Amino acid sequence: MIGAGIKRGTAELAILSVLEEGPLHGYEMARRIEEQTKGALRFTLAALYPMLYRMEQRGWIRGAWETSPSGRRKRCYRLTPAGKKKLSPLRKEWAELFGALKRLTKVAHA
Amino acid sequence: MRDWQELVRQRLSGLKLGSAETEEVHAELAAHLEESYEVFCKEGLPEKEEVHRTFEQVADWQDLQRRIFIAKRSGHPMKKRLHQLWIPGFFTVVLSIVFLVTLQGLGFQARVVSWSGPRTTLLYLPWLLSLPFFGALGAYLSSRAGGSRRTMLLASTFPALALTGAFLSMFPIGFAMERIIGRRVGFSIVATTLLRDGIGWLLVPGAALLAGGVLVNLLFSGRTSSQSTAIS
Repeated sequence: MIGAGIKRGTAELAILSVLEEGPLHGYEMARRIEEQTKGALRFTLAALYPMLYRMEQRGWIRGAWETSPSGRRKRCYRLTPAGKKKLSPLRKEWAELFGALKRLTKVAHA
Repeated sequence: MRDWQELVRQRLSGLKLGSAETEEVHAELAAHLEESYEVFCKEGLPEKEEVHRTFEQVADWQDLQRRIFIAKRSGHPMKKRLHQLWIPGFFTVVLSIVFLVTLQGLGFQARVVSWSGPRTTLLYLPWLLSLPFFGALGAYLSSRAGGSRRTMLLASTFPALALTGAFLSMFPIGFAMERIIGRRVGFSIVATTLLRDGIGWLLVPGAALLAGGVLVNLLFSGRTSSQSTAIS
């Protein structure tokens, strides 16, 4: 079973990564993550918003109300400089972890 | 047509945040549900199924309410305040004072502007011209730390606010000193004089600092708007 810390870590990395491409509102963010991970990562409303609010409290992302061309008001999130700074070491950490697991599983299968 | 916000409000009625913050959460979650519902509608599902799948995203509203509350109250408020307001504000104060002292050291004299008879105001024009930059810097530093628009504006006008606080605090201090030492001291007179010059030292500098802060604010919101045109 995947621990809560790992789940949270991957979710944070996923959110920061999609926001690096530009500001997004919650629904679009969840859709993009699902699309880009080919359905491997799925965010329901219940999983997404507590995570977004926590990341906003930490100053990694900032939400602001925007009016879309269709006249709808949506809260768009964008990466803050602190969030951008966080993304690079987070990517490195996860790459190292996955690299280590990959090597481990190769050794186990050999 | 469904009132999604009302439906969310009913389910998260125990969310104990500030009223504005709670309304924002309700509106945001309602917008998400509405969008999900519309996508399910496009799939041509029976209405009951569309509604069921929309609400299926939240298995336990009480748990969601609790997690939203914890998330909104997480972080270190003092540390956040320090980085978003106090450090940018202090930086703006120090820079503006150092620049003023430097100008005075270089021999720049304040310009005396007379208004309404004998009343005069001292204006350091080169200093005033520099203040929008310092205000912008304060707002930018606050923004980098994730500060809200209001915090950005507070950080940009921090020198004027600090000076106002210092001026006003001279009254009770002067009054207390008079009581302690048992004779009249000049604090109240000084403070009254300084308050009389409030236009030159507080209002005009405050406006100049605010102009810089507002500019940074507009630049940031402008960037957000232009990048969000893809939102459907």
